[in-house]
Amino acid sequence: MGRTDRNTAEIDALYRQHGAALLLFASAISGDRGRAQDAVHQVFLKAIENGSVSEAVNKRAYLFACVRNALLNEVKLQDRNMPLDIDSAWFSPPDRDYAGEKNLRRALGDLPHDQREVIVLHVWGELTFSEIGDLSGVSSNTAASRYRYALAKLRGSMLAKENSCADSR
Amino acid sequence: MQTHDDGQFEAYLKRFHPIATEPIPTPSVGHSSRRSLSLGTWLAAVASVLVTGAVILHIRSNRVVVSKTASDLAFAERHAPSEPLTMRSANAWLATAPSFKAAVDDLAFRSQTSPLPQGKQSAVAVLSKGKIGL
Repeated sequence: MGRTDRNTAEIDALYRQHGAALLLFASAISGDRGRAQDAVHQVFLKAIENGSVSEAVNKRAYLFACVRNALLNEVKLQDRNMPLDIDSAWFSPPDRDYAGEKNLRRALGDLPHDQREVIVLHVWGELTFSEIGDLSGVSSNTAASRYRYALAKLRGSMLAKENSCADSR
Repeated sequence: MQTHDDGQFEAYLKRFHPIATEPIPTPSVGHSSRRSLSLGTWLAAVASVLVTGAVILHIRSNRVVVSKTASDLAFAERHAPSEPLTMRSANAWLATAPSFKAAVDDLAFRSQTSPLPQGKQSAVAVLSKGKIGL
């Protein structure tokens, strides 16, 4: 097996392992599912071309950083304050809880950009606060406190929606 | 929704799995070269059709000119007047000639074919020998 084949096999494994979380993260940043998918593909295709992932020590954090940079570079040229595309599903709901999935998506969309980012990176990207801090350019303490604040906000938002639905029945 | 503390809420959130991504599109070097090859083939075919058409048109137009010239010459040979050229005969000749060129060509035939009476010279010949100051 040549070096290129090994690199492609590694990229393929990374894509299968982290692709879904990267796509969710990209959707949470860009607000557009198609653009998010393009950004993730672009990062992996570049990685196949230049073999940069093989040199990264923390491959998962590196991939999230690449996706973030790819999207922010693109969004800078266009509209930074675009609304999130919350019409298309972001998650496969457990036990066919489609209402819960929609509620989660809405609550995530209501969060400020930096809070949404830290929630997605920690819960579904499984990055540590230190890694999130490196990626976002803040300290790990700031990332952790931002996460706790965002989590409380998300929970409050989801509960409020559930209660309002229960009251209306 | 179990949301008594952060840990439980996190566990609840993790039950929602992000939707899987679409497969990475295969880098399509072969595809793009095939596409450019196909485009090149099409361009070559169109160019060859155009060139062939142009050549056919060129040959056809040349044939028309050649055949027209030949018919003019044949006409001139057939209808060359035998008497000396006068204004009247020239007008009649121009009226019946298929083209002006055919009429002019006939003049050349006339000068070669109609012998002049003895002791007389062609005015054109005399004028061409002398120096005419303009």
